[in-house]
Amino acid sequence: MSEDGGSAEGGLEDFLNSGDRSLEVLFGSQSGNAEGLASKIAKIAKSYGLQGNVHDMDGFDFNSLSSKKRVIIVCSTWGEGEQPDNAEELWKFANSGAATRLEGTHFAVCALGDTSYELFCESGKEWDGLFEKLGATRIVERIDCDVDYDAPASEWTLKALPALAAVDSTGQFFEDMVDDIVQFASGSSVGAGGEDGFTVPVIEAEPIQVEISIFRFDPSDNTTGRDSWACSIPGHLSVLEALRAIKETHDGTLSFRDGNDDDPTTAISVNGRLIIPGRARLDSVVTSRGDSMKLRIDPIPGSEVIRDLIVDHWALERKRESSRPWMVAATREGIQTPQGVFGSMNQSTALRIHSLADYDSAPLLHSSSDAVPYANGFLGPAVLASTWARRNDPRTAPERVVELDAILGSSNGIKAETDLAPIFRRKGYSKSVSEGLLEARTSAIENDSFNGKLGKHVWWYCWTVKSSGKVNDTVLYRQVLGPIGLLGNLFSGVTARMFLGFTRTGGNVLNSLQGMVAPPAGIGKMPRQLNSSVANHHQVIAIYNEMDGRF
Amino acid sequence: MPLKYAYHPGNVAHSGSPEVADTMDAVARNLGLELTPLEGATSCGAGIIKQANQRLQLALNARTFAMSESLGLEILTPCAATAGNLKQDLEKLRSDNILMKEINDVLIKTCGMEFTGNTEVHHLLHVLVDEIGLDKVEKLAVNKFDFRVAPYYSPYFQMEGACGGDSVNDPEYFEQLVQSLGGRPIEWEGRVLSVGAPGIFSEEPTVLRQSAAVISEAKEEGADIIVSACNLSHSILDIYQGKASRATGIITNIPVIHLTELLSFAFGNHNTRFAQLRTRIAVIGD
Repeated sequence: MSEDGGSAEGGLEDFLNSGDRSLEVLFGSQSGNAEGLASKIAKIAKSYGLQGNVHDMDGFDFNSLSSKKRVIIVCSTWGEGEQPDNAEELWKFANSGAATRLEGTHFAVCALGDTSYELFCESGKEWDGLFEKLGATRIVERIDCDVDYDAPASEWTLKALPALAAVDSTGQFFEDMVDDIVQFASGSSVGAGGEDGFTVPVIEAEPIQVEISIFRFDPSDNTTGRDSWACSIPGHLSVLEALRAIKETHDGTLSFRDGNDDDPTTAISVNGRLIIPGRARLDSVVTSRGDSMKLRIDPIPGSEVIRDLIVDHWALERKRESSRPWMVAATREGIQTPQGVFGSMNQSTALRIHSLADYDSAPLLHSSSDAVPYANGFLGPAVLASTWARRNDPRTAPERVVELDAILGSSNGIKAETDLAPIFRRKGYSKSVSEGLLEARTSAIENDSFNGKLGKHVWWYCWTVKSSGKVNDTVLYRQVLGPIGLLGNLFSGVTARMFLGFTRTGGNVLNSLQGMVAPPAGIGKMPRQLNSSVANHHQVIAIYNEMDGRF
Repeated sequence: MPLKYAYHPGNVAHSGSPEVADTMDAVARNLGLELTPLEGATSCGAGIIKQANQRLQLALNARTFAMSESLGLEILTPCAATAGNLKQDLEKLRSDNILMKEINDVLIKTCGMEFTGNTEVHHLLHVLVDEIGLDKVEKLAVNKFDFRVAPYYSPYFQMEGACGGDSVNDPEYFEQLVQSLGGRPIEWEGRVLSVGAPGIFSEEPTVLRQSAAVISEAKEEGADIIVSACNLSHSILDIYQGKASRATGIITNIPVIHLTELLSFAFGNHNTRFAQLRTRIAVIGD
């Protein structure tokens, strides 16, 4: 640059501002990580005088790359080395004879993966190899990132972008300019505003035709119903923005909780999915039915509806308040620092405590339990997840641990949850939260020494599976319900519906001789008295003996 | 070429719901499914065993997976709870190499078996739509199932990776299947809600309210019958419906059958039972 006679800085600026400065960032993403990373890279590219254009691989015209000089691929790997769903078609095309050559294109690949899989980052490796095969020039070596990709991907980005920025609009790479560009970019403020130095740009999407159906409730006359609107809304808008637009242009009486994009109290249900509406793009939650797209919006379940989509969070807050003690610290060792004495905690313990209560929205987690609307007094998963986290916090005083155990084991505690599956299947909070609730339940059962109905149910279930490999419902009914419970079933019609099950199934009255030997088991839908053992039953017993000698 | 699977009947087909075993045999024949029974497979744990000891349930299910691997067949089950529990444990083991090694050490020591993670778990519903195809199912249907049907998925297999190509939160496979058999599916929210089957012994009042709410919604939406893809939940919806009604004051009488029964009747098997079902729907009401 100095050969031109201008100052190095001035020449560099001219270079970075002249000609085509586009950078195409393609993402292949299954869970959204690659998409988010591609967006970050495109944003920070501005600091290097590049115009980042983010493209979903799904629907992308591969042959348009022939005229592009700079390309970054960010691609995750799905399952056993498979391309993510949105990359499959492009990958097939790129490998077909119809794909264009890419001489004159410089590229870099950031592969996301998981080292616990045998084919680690396979998709990224495949794209890397293919671009080279098609004649493109690799500008920096590919990076293969594990699940904690943030730091290595950021470091790689800071190498890849200045190198790509040193490619001019004719496709020529000026290697000696890379250091100057790095220095130039270090003085830029673009991208410094985000939490991690990046700010995620919006990837604009085309308007989508969608039928939006919203639950309505008018408290003045206690009426419920649904209103529907056919709308054309850009897919990149958030659900919250869509609700605002409907309120502004269609129905000013529509009520919903408005707030910041990440306000946990704004949680709603969209097409059965529990979401924070400011965080969910419209095109990520619409459901396709034939030729039409639909969006069914409801208040979150499990809380009293005040009006339309607004629910009352007060009941949840009261439950939260009742789960005292909040925190009474134990006396513990500290470390001397210039600022005074601080308590210490090792990293793995700290991570575990945080992960147990790693949910963004208490109302959202609370409503993920299908038992909450029907179990009076049940504290619900959000309160219990926090309680379990406090109970496992080494800073909690031992006597308070006892109190927290009492809350967890109470009739409104974790044992009041009828089914953990609905909580496990939801997204929106970390897996550690669901796992923590399971641990809390195990702890409550063990603290009761497998007594009480839940404890007996679990104990006898395990016992019967050990005994034959199959669950024996007759044993469960007898041992868990006891004579009073069985009488209750007799008089409430449960036993009758079991006994007369053959009238509904068309089965034989006596479907085995067992019914004759030990009546009424084996008749109708009465479970059998005895199970035949599974093949190689001794293996089942050996597993039990090896892993849990209690049963 | 027939589709081949290792067959896991679930927890209740051998016990309180022998009709699942009867009808599944017939359906497999009609569809050309070649099912190899997993004779040594244990209960999937139904999410109960793991409440005592999660690793114990993982080891038992890893043994089942190892058996399917040794057969070179993926697992098929007609029970959503079994599909969901097995799939959850399969993914947990696959995603944690250290855990997988520990569980494999137990399997090698106790059973002389090893599990590699190279198997899959499928529910019958997803095999019907994704593998067999509803056009073939429609051709096999000789008895039109001309009722307003409430298809009940349950929550168990409605999770990422466990429901084939169907949507996790807003599924449609079951409705499509019902239509292909001549039925008219209703629209209802209860189709993926839990009826609390694992809590029936310990939290019966809550379970009765949950199941009454699910059944009453189906009735309010005009259903003549509920068809369940979950054999475990079926036991609550069917056997406990009278008790749920008494406990809640909600009318809950409605016939409830299994997915395998729906298919078997539509394919022209068990005609006497189908006639009885028609009578139950038209006259008796439950």
